Amino acid sequence: MKTMISYGVAVLALAAGIGGAQALTLDEVKSAGYIQAATANEVPYGYMKEDGTAAGIGPDVAIAVLKRMGVNEVNWTVTPFGTLIPGLKARRFAFAAAEQNISPERCKQVAFTEPNSSYGEGLLVKKGNPKKLTTYADIAKDPSLKVAVVSGANNIDFLRAVGVKDDQIVIIQANADAPATVQSRVDAYAATELTVSKLAEGSEAVEQVRPFTDPIVDGKPVRNYGGFAFRLEDKELHDAFNKALVEFRKTEDYQKILTSYGLSAESIKAAAAKNVADLCAGK
Amino acid sequence: MTWTQYLAPLLKGAQVTVMISLASITIGALLAFAAGIARTSSNRIISGIAFVYIVLFRGTPLLVQLFWFYYALPLIGVSFDPITTGIMTLSLLTGAFGAEVVRGALLAVPPTQLEAARALNFSKTYTLWHISMPQAIIEMMPSFGNLAIQNLKDTALVSLISIADLTFQAQSMRNITLDSATVYTLTLLGYFIIALCLMLIVRFIEMKLRRGPAFPRSAHS
Repeated sequence: MKTMISYGVAVLALAAGIGGAQALTLDEVKSAGYIQAATANEVPYGYMKEDGTAAGIGPDVAIAVLKRMGVNEVNWTVTPFGTLIPGLKARRFAFAAAEQNISPERCKQVAFTEPNSSYGEGLLVKKGNPKKLTTYADIAKDPSLKVAVVSGANNIDFLRAVGVKDDQIVIIQANADAPATVQSRVDAYAATELTVSKLAEGSEAVEQVRPFTDPIVDGKPVRNYGGFAFRLEDKELHDAFNKALVEFRKTEDYQKILTSYGLSAESIKAAAAKNVADLCAGK
Repeated sequence: MTWTQYLAPLLKGAQVTVMISLASITIGALLAFAAGIARTSSNRIISGIAFVYIVLFRGTPLLVQLFWFYYALPLIGVSFDPITTGIMTLSLLTGAFGAEVVRGALLAVPPTQLEAARALNFSKTYTLWHISMPQAIIEMMPSFGNLAIQNLKDTALVSLISIADLTFQAQSMRNITLDSATVYTLTLLGYFIIALCLMLIVRFIEMKLRRGPAFPRSAHS
């Protein structure tokens, strides 16, 4: 049976014309002339515009950094947030530019670059905030309240950390579902500050909770640090990109991209002040 | 944005949907005949292989199959591009369901005819292609029509492996505009129109077959 399976796999491998996993290098990318990249559909971190081109904090910075590295063409794929890391590991694309929070768990799976952005948390509620929510812990106080989060995002960890029970949490597939969900099925939607602010923009039915207090986890208010994710084995490519990113962070163009998507000067400074090694170690 | 501005991206997605659906219906039909005929074979190995294939693909959800081929298979070094993965998985699923239709229709041919064919010393192959199949294929058509439409609707799942089909474009539009009502209504309409075309095609093939020279409908019913 075992030989049959390996024979079958060998036939499939032949059919696909692909051998074992090899590390992708910068030279290979340069000679191919393009790189394959992914983002999730999340305004303003990364999304696809109507004309099929990628935009957002992650894609815009990635395109600028790659240009500095001599790679002028990026093929973008949009994939649900929860499948960014599985897709990366399955070699569907070379890196993910979705401002995923650099967390110790994710560092075990993928190689993050230095932080590209930093952002706090937020809550989307019905107009007028009928339940008077000001932070995640308010949801934990009343077990009858329900809160939505998007699948694969880390907001669920913060909710759990402040005592929200699993039966209070509703998982949705995309940010675009949040306004309708908040209007009909849940009391709040927990996401990052910028996501919530984009969703609330111009809406008659929902609003962003203001003032909002970031949840306190392990004695300090949480802050997310978004980075680019590469495969662990593509070390050379990761290092080259990382170096170019750190250089690019010092420029005015970088500031311009981030502020154009609503990031504050403090958030940009906070991102540059942290380093990826500490974030991966949980510090 | 007004609804007319949604049309261009949705139409682009609809083209991909139609392409994937037609390709997987065609390959699926070939697989269905191969596996369906193999199931009626007296050779135990051949019918056994067909049985395992049918049971595996009918017994597991399409979404999990897609994710398995897309995210799990590459981990052991075998990787197909998204479009190939989508067409392959849909074909295999449609083929598995179709195989049972083929088998059922072949078994519905009255056994007296097979006995008569044997009495006339027709070979098994000749009996299959000249006695059983011409009658059975007409009986298969209504079920094949169902499967074709089911296949079209199943293609919506390929949006989850990053193929820019109609559903994928709808999700992207919705993400930018948050206008779920309009986008989803247009999307439903799009699928419905494609399904109508598929129904017409299947009806046309069925009519052609019924008028075929081999067996007029009344001859065996």
